[in-house]
Amino acid sequence: MEEFSLYVLDITMNSVRAGADKIDVTLDDRDGILTFTVADNGCGMTKEQLRRLTDPFFTTRKTRGVGLGVPFLKMLAEQTGGDVRVTSVTAEESPENHGTTLTATFGSDHIDFIPMGDLADTFVTLIQGNPDVDFTFTHRVRNGEVRLSCPELRQILGEGVPLSSFEVLEWIRKYLAEGYAELEK
Amino acid sequence: MKLTDIIDTLSLTVVAGDAEREAEGVYAGDFLSRAMSHICADDLWITIMNNVNVIAVASLTDAAAVLLAENVALAPDAVEAAKAKDVTVLSSDKSVYELCAALSRIDGLS
Repeated sequence: MEEFSLYVLDITMNSVRAGADKIDVTLDDRDGILTFTVADNGCGMTKEQLRRLTDPFFTTRKTRGVGLGVPFLKMLAEQTGGDVRVTSVTAEESPENHGTTLTATFGSDHIDFIPMGDLADTFVTLIQGNPDVDFTFTHRVRNGEVRLSCPELRQILGEGVPLSSFEVLEWIRKYLAEGYAELEK
Repeated sequence: MKLTDIIDTLSLTVVAGDAEREAEGVYAGDFLSRAMSHICADDLWITIMNNVNVIAVASLTDAAAVLLAENVALAPDAVEAAKAKDVTVLSSDKSVYELCAALSRIDGLS
C-alpha cells in the first residue's frame, strides 16, 4: 500500500462488507492536515469489536486470523502525526439509525506521508464493483473540491440505468478527471 | 540453516520465542504491506519497524523469525503478541546493511 488511494479503497470496502448501502467518503486536505472520513449505514460494530479494531490479530474474516486494514491505516496516521477514531452503532442498538464512522487524520506534509495515488480511479473502481451503493465522494483541497454523488447521478439517469454501465463509468471517469484538472490550475 | 547457528554467528539477542526453527532465506525491508507480499515462508525478516503489525505480518507469512536491526526495541504489546503467536523475534545492534552483509557470508541461505 504505497499510495493513499489504496487505503481509501481498503477502508471503504469494509463499509461495503458491513452491508452499507449509503457510504460517504470525504477527504479534506488543507494546511498540511488530511482528514479522511468514511461514514456508512452498515451493520455497525459492538463495543468489543471497536475495542479490538486496531489489533491486527482481530478480524471478522474466517479464512485467516489476521486483519491489517485498520492497523495499517492507524500506523500511517500515527507515523505522520495523526490518529484514527471510530464510532459505531449496531443494528441491534438502533434498527433505524445504525452504522460506522471512521475518521483518520494525517500530516499530509509529513516526510513519511505517501503519495495520494489515483483517487479518481479508486472512486470509479468502488462504483463499478458496487453499483447499488449510494456513494458520495468529496475531496476538498485549499482551492476547491471534487465531488461525486451517486444518489444525484441516479436521479438524473433514472431507475433503469445502472451506474456500472460502460457509458456511465466513462462519464464519471471524465467528470473526475476534469474536476482534478481544475484543482491543478 | 538453524536459527541457533545464525544467532551464534551474528551474536544476536533473542527477544521472544524459541530459536528451534530453520531459516531458508532472508528478506529485508520496512514497508509492511510490501513485506507482506514478499516474505517467503521460513525467511529471516530484517526490519527496523517495531510495532505489533510486524508480528502480524511475520505470522501471516510464516517467517522463520523477525530480526530487529539497530537495537530497535519491540513495543510492549508486540512482545506480548509475539509470545502469543509463537513468532520468534531477534535483535542486533548492527544496521540492516551490516546484517545482510554478514548473512551473505553464511552458506545455506537464499
